[in-house]
Amino acid sequence: MPNHHRNLTNRCNSLKSTGPRSASGKRASSQNSRKHGLNSAPDFESSLEYQALVDLIAEEGFPAFACADIAAGLLNYRRVMDAYYDTYTSPEPVNEFRRDMNVKASNPIFSELLSPSRSEPQDVREMATFFADMQRQERRKGGPVSRRSADTHKLIRYQRNGIARLSRAVRQG
Amino acid sequence: MPVDHKVSSLLPFLSSPKLLPDESEADFQSGLKSLLSELDNPSPLAVALISQLNESLWWIKRHTVDKELLLHEAMARLLSKAGSYSETYDNRKVSEALERYLDGSADKDEAEWIDEILAESKLTLSDLRVRAFKDAAKHIKMVDDLIHRQHQTMRHLQRSIDSIDYKSRLIKRMDLELAALESKQSVKGALTLDAKPS
Repeated sequence: MPNHHRNLTNRCNSLKSTGPRSASGKRASSQNSRKHGLNSAPDFESSLEYQALVDLIAEEGFPAFACADIAAGLLNYRRVMDAYYDTYTSPEPVNEFRRDMNVKASNPIFSELLSPSRSEPQDVREMATFFADMQRQERRKGGPVSRRSADTHKLIRYQRNGIARLSRAVRQG
Repeated sequence: MPVDHKVSSLLPFLSSPKLLPDESEADFQSGLKSLLSELDNPSPLAVALISQLNESLWWIKRHTVDKELLLHEAMARLLSKAGSYSETYDNRKVSEALERYLDGSADKDEAEWIDEILAESKLTLSDLRVRAFKDAAKHIKMVDDLIHRQHQTMRHLQRSIDSIDYKSRLIKRMDLELAALESKQSVKGALTLDAKPS
């Protein structure tokens, strides 16, 4: 299909889309793929904690710009560590049924289920392969400890950047 | 201001430590107190950094436990797949039985059951551990990375605390030198005042 035809088809199909229409719906769905929120730019300056923290640090004799940097660095580091904790405590749940299902043993059940429609054994084999793949994927992710380790491992770079920023602010202050 | 007050005044900004249900808050707090006791009258910022340091230590403990759990998870998975048992396996059941077996708290039936599965899979307990380690190597490496990250974080925090401590000591020293100069000056002034009438 030529490019302009494809573009036109895509545009026509997009008009049939049933996405969110209200402002609140759009706002909610914009957060659908949000995982930990650490990629969004934080706005510490407008928070109450930030000002109070700046005042507290200023009492120690740091210059004003350093106080602002340290306070932002500290709040940013806390934000990372809170996300780290949340990721650690809520890993993707293990689908025990999928993980422990016995594909080989269930083959006769598939055959029985499919027999009224006179399906071929090929269908049964395909279905068994499909379930075996699902099971393999589930097992590859490991148990809850493996999952939480893998999930928290993704936050290492945020932690590295967060602590480097804080440390730099304190030492340069 | 006492150290406890400094810690409590900082809590609203630093979010209180979040502990897991089976962790003791008393242990966490005692660790924090022992770290704070090493500094002489720490400033609020030093207290904030030390509480982050304590949290890093806590994370290292958690991740170290995770390494053992990963090994256990892999051992249970290997056992559950082993021998003829694969026809009716249940990962959680094997995992719990294996845990009791390794603790030495398994009853006779459970111990026999685990021995049976080990025999069917032609493995000894140490073989099982070695194979489990091999299987879980990828995730164990991840946990090692997480522990390493915490060590790096602690190094950063220590350097920051040192710089605050050095700065406060420097300020104190300069204050003392200034006071000494002032007192010297005042003594000189007094001497010149004394000298003038003569």
